[in-house]
Amino acid sequence: MKIKTIKAYMLKEFMELYRTRLIVMVYLMPTMIVILFGYGIRMDVTQARILIIDNDQSQLSRELTTAFEHTKYFNATKSFISEKEALRSIKQAKTDVILIIPSSFEKNLYKGLKSELGVFIDAAFPTRASTLESYVQGEILNVASSVSANLPTQAQGMIKLNYRTLFNQAMRDEDAIVPGLIGLVLLVAPAILAALLIVKEKEKGTIFNFYASPLSKGEFLLAKILPVFVLHSLNIFILFLIAVYLFEVPFRGSFLLYWFASELYIMISLSIGMLISVITKKQIVAVVLTVIVTILPGFLYSGMLMPISSMSGESYIEAHMFPVMYFTHILYDTFLIGQGVASAKILLYLGILVGFLVVMFTSGVLLLKKGIK
Amino acid sequence: MKIFFIILAKELISFMRSVMLVVVVLYSFTVDIYIAGSGIEITPKNVGVGYVDETGGGISQKILSRLHEAEFLEPKPYLSQKALSDAIFNKEILVGIIFDSEFEKKYRQNEVANLNLLLDATAASQSLTTLSYLQNIVLDFVKMDIPIEIKSHKLFNQNADNHQFMALTELLSITTMLIVILTAIAFVKEKEDGTWDIMLLMPVNPKVIILAKSMSQVLIVMIGVILSLGFVLFGSFDTPMNGSFWLFILFTFMYAFSSAGLGLFVAAVSKDVMQVAQLSIVIMMPLIFLSGAWTPVYAMHPIFQKLSIISPLRYYIEGSESLFYRGTSFIDMMPYFAGVLMLGSILYWYGFRKIGKLF
Repeated sequence: MKIKTIKAYMLKEFMELYRTRLIVMVYLMPTMIVILFGYGIRMDVTQARILIIDNDQSQLSRELTTAFEHTKYFNATKSFISEKEALRSIKQAKTDVILIIPSSFEKNLYKGLKSELGVFIDAAFPTRASTLESYVQGEILNVASSVSANLPTQAQGMIKLNYRTLFNQAMRDEDAIVPGLIGLVLLVAPAILAALLIVKEKEKGTIFNFYASPLSKGEFLLAKILPVFVLHSLNIFILFLIAVYLFEVPFRGSFLLYWFASELYIMISLSIGMLISVITKKQIVAVVLTVIVTILPGFLYSGMLMPISSMSGESYIEAHMFPVMYFTHILYDTFLIGQGVASAKILLYLGILVGFLVVMFTSGVLLLKKGIK
Repeated sequence: MKIFFIILAKELISFMRSVMLVVVVLYSFTVDIYIAGSGIEITPKNVGVGYVDETGGGISQKILSRLHEAEFLEPKPYLSQKALSDAIFNKEILVGIIFDSEFEKKYRQNEVANLNLLLDATAASQSLTTLSYLQNIVLDFVKMDIPIEIKSHKLFNQNADNHQFMALTELLSITTMLIVILTAIAFVKEKEDGTWDIMLLMPVNPKVIILAKSMSQVLIVMIGVILSLGFVLFGSFDTPMNGSFWLFILFTFMYAFSSAGLGLFVAAVSKDVMQVAQLSIVIMMPLIFLSGAWTPVYAMHPIFQKLSIISPLRYYIEGSESLFYRGTSFIDMMPYFAGVLMLGSILYWYGFRKIGKLF
């Protein structure tokens, strides 16, 4: 090891980051993204705009309308417009759901005749449409079951659902999303920074300094990665503080595990960037490639949008090919569950992360060329 | 005019010469969109369910048999409540159902039987929806005999097919990312190499140069969009096209231009590719994820709702969804066109001024 040369290289990298003011970006980007997304992304459906056309005007229909007015899931408007006009307002994306109560709805119900409630849902946003559908059904069944108590029906057993939500009792979206966001940000930010470090020199021609220097390939990569790694390590603490104090996500696991796993993960993401930098010849290619391989998988496989256990086929396999899934599993554990290293699965995942690092870094070293071929 | 085409051709040729770049752009417009479309479900599908049955079968099995395909995986039996909760802790299942020994007896005696559920709420929305599914299943099982039929219609996408939607969203996001990055780098490269000053010093109107350069990147992206529409959206996912196809192309073209304006702005304020990369991520990530691609605008924090008014992507996404699914007519599309056009002109005008000045 030529400690002195490595030191000199690292100092140069530090200076460069400082002088180009990229150092601001190192801290600004992750913080900004976590804050914006933490407040911005909402997975549960609230305040959906429902348009109720009440052709019955009976006590029951009014009861139904009030039920919709009083839940946080809906933002109800009563209206007397025609069906056609209502459909047009869906087309203009001004309404999400239309509920049509037929005339003589109440009368039929008490007579025991079947009556039909018409529900139209805008399914241009399909996932929300299914959620809305089940909300609407639940709401109607609720009202109906309280009414049916007055109806003459035979006595029958009832089943009551008792449920306990684990890890996130209040079902807060912040708890569910912020740890995943940390996983996303710590993948994207270091990678995009590292992706240009070498290819930049290639394009400018300064890479010849390295060709002529006594440094070996591994030492060169280390000297390039370490300064960025040290700078990014601070982000682990910044993001932790944001999550716990700003978003009030509980932290139940061991901080040491969180810290260690995050440092490991930053190293992996730097190695990914480095690998891209080694194999590309132009900066533009490196930028586009990094964006494609980090942002999308980072978002999809972080467990924010869907649990990995529900994935099927190709995406299940793909999720296992990216480091995001393993890291976010550990993140969710340290924040919400708190099993720590007692769980065999977490140890396994830590091992897999180490494996990722070794593979990424060695392939970076192997593919880097010293000299013109 | 001749100069315009010469610059345009020069840019296109230099794009084509970088084989790697062509491959990466093609990849992002095809394979990447395909992966996003085929892989991801946000609705609870294949929810892993486990159960502990202390009743000895009968009613519990009848209820379990109603948890069927698509929404639920085959329920897995566990021997004890401890094993069940361990499975949830290790994220092997999302929902645990406990039928305690009293359950069947009480139900048969017409008393209130308690059914205990454990939900993994780290995925809050999936758990909530799963809960409401289960509630509906139980209500349906007890058959309260209410003479109400709920006729529900999911308009525009009867099966709530999520794949097409994700593919479309991904296409819109990719279009935004590529147009901004490609345009910004096309300009910054010249700055970095020092050729930009020379371009501006030439006896050619700088407006023509800027327009031709951004036009070339818009063209590249437009070709990508058309390829992706043909091969991925219509080819593999059978996405419906209820509006006019050409209106969508026109809309995309206008949007691409206004995003190129954003790229111009990024190029104007940064000195090298490194800064472009950082800055475009900082600008684009919020733009993409907070413009209604993943969460509808009205469900976001009020401050972001206000902010999203100045995002051209918001109009583009809403407009495209309307065109594809809702089949909105040209007249109703006017607000979206106006939004994209106005924001685009402002961005373009600003970027234009900043980068077109020599000193």
